Amino acid sequence: MGSRCLLSLLFALTTSMLLAQSPASAPPTEPTLQSLLDRIQQLENRINQLEDRERRQEAAPAGTPLAPETTTPAPVTTPAAVPGPTASHEDHFSTGEIRDTERRFPSLQIRGFGDVDFSATDQKGSVSGFNLGQLVLHLASPLSEKVSYFGEISFTAQPTSYELSVERSIIRYDYNDYFKLSFGKYHTPLGYWNTAFHHGAWLQTTITRPEMIQFGGTFIPTHFVGVEAEGNIPSGGLGLGYNVGLGNGRSSILSKSGDSGDSNDNRSWVANLYARPTRFYGLQLGASVYRDKLTPQPGRNFEEWITAADVVWTKEKPEFLAEYANVHHRDVLTLNTWDSQAFYVQLAYRLPWQQSKWKPYYRYEYIHKPEDDPTLVNVLDLSGSTFGVRYDITNYAAFKGEYRNSRHGVNEPRVNGAFFQTAFTF
Amino acid sequence: MGHFSRLRLPSDTHMTTHWKFASRALALSCLCLTLLQPLAAQRHDVDVAVVVHPDTPITNLSMSEVRKVFLGDRQYWSPNIPVVLLIRAPVARERDVVLKVIYQMSEAQFKQYWIAKIFRAESATAPKVVYSNDMANQLVTAIPGAIAFIDSKDVKPGAKVLRVEGRLPGEAGYPLR
Repeated sequence: MGSRCLLSLLFALTTSMLLAQSPASAPPTEPTLQSLLDRIQQLENRINQLEDRERRQEAAPAGTPLAPETTTPAPVTTPAAVPGPTASHEDHFSTGEIRDTERRFPSLQIRGFGDVDFSATDQKGSVSGFNLGQLVLHLASPLSEKVSYFGEISFTAQPTSYELSVERSIIRYDYNDYFKLSFGKYHTPLGYWNTAFHHGAWLQTTITRPEMIQFGGTFIPTHFVGVEAEGNIPSGGLGLGYNVGLGNGRSSILSKSGDSGDSNDNRSWVANLYARPTRFYGLQLGASVYRDKLTPQPGRNFEEWITAADVVWTKEKPEFLAEYANVHHRDVLTLNTWDSQAFYVQLAYRLPWQQSKWKPYYRYEYIHKPEDDPTLVNVLDLSGSTFGVRYDITNYAAFKGEYRNSRHGVNEPRVNGAFFQTAFTF
Repeated sequence: MGHFSRLRLPSDTHMTTHWKFASRALALSCLCLTLLQPLAAQRHDVDVAVVVHPDTPITNLSMSEVRKVFLGDRQYWSPNIPVVLLIRAPVARERDVVLKVIYQMSEAQFKQYWIAKIFRAESATAPKVVYSNDMANQLVTAIPGAIAFIDSKDVKPGAKVLRVEGRLPGEAGYPLR
């Protein structure tokens, strides 16, 4: 009897082992627990949607069209998207499902980003504690096959209230992949980070942006109001693309863009060229130029030239980001010139264990500014390192912990700090 | 004691019975393997076809071009025909192949990629999710500019199957499987 059991066991083991070998050579299709849960959630949502629709259909008078599932206003459906009368009843989906995939205009999608932070440093006079980061709402709505709207609104906690700010508001016309024209307020296409992560802390690996492109900072103009053309450049495997913009430039408060008008009768312009070589999927190389005339005080004018370059490897094993910028100022009256430099190098690696939830990272950043530059008065020299780790709690929320060691200013003591953040999208 | 000694030193009759059982079990397992292995192989080795709307002005794409389309970096087939991406819901084999071969991303990275893509204003919409190959077939022939990945044995007449790197599904060297 024991031998029979042993043989049966051997048979079962052999069969299962041999069968288990076949997926190893082919793409694995065994679902993970998470993907199965996702799938169940998706199907449950689907059932709820269908039941809702059925209820609405029953409640609505005969002949009333169904409301869209997504969001807001009354949709206009592209006639081409409706399947012809030849659709077979044998198919395992309803016309409702087909309707879900039709493009509707306008079709507003809203996504939110938020973060909660804790900081503690050994800097004299600093106070440790929690703070509510930014609450950000992102709006995207195709208005037709060729026209889309994008918006970004932030709510930032202030000592007495919340500051509401329109970070981006863009309406874009797509002629084709090579030419897209838009108007509005942008994040200046200068370098990589500023147009890659915007105000979504959850999207970036680290807790904060590098100081050279900090929101509210003055080293680089982070916002830009005007007109922009962008697109791909026919270049085969080089994968070239461009952004060219013309706008108001910085306002008299250098950290702000000229949302309500230009501070002087002079347009700024920006040009950005990047390459995403098809042979090295994940690699991006970029170079940018920005030109403006600054008027921080009436009667004082400075020419500004910013040149920047970036190299990034966007895959997470490893992730590599590096940017460099040189800011050149020239006093129109005295012809004095000043050059300031800044760069950062960030390296991260998504660890393969525990469902790839852990991502340690390191960033070094540097800023140097001539002491007598009259325009960048709030910019301090910086040399700092950041060590941290990001843990993705779910697909839509992450926890980050950082240690920073940095020196701001010349001959100032180094400051150590511990920072924590939970960042999410909803 | 006799019982134990019989186990340790089985008689010829018992030995013969065990061998018979063992040989039958082995024969049965070989038979099972012969029958099941091709089924298992069939599940994993069927090529995944790149299918487009019949009016799409294209017949062949390189792998990098397929990637560019599915990354949302190429959004128009021609100025009047926008690309409409259709992708199977999670757990489907076609989705696994697309994520592994084209995107080279995990499910979480894929979701983050499209959230970021829309957030960057680089695309107004994410790929549309389809729940079956039947649905993919139907939609890809109904929506101008649509492109989908469908198990090649499930592709229905009327759909236009693209060559990838000059090869059709089933041909040697076809890269999507």
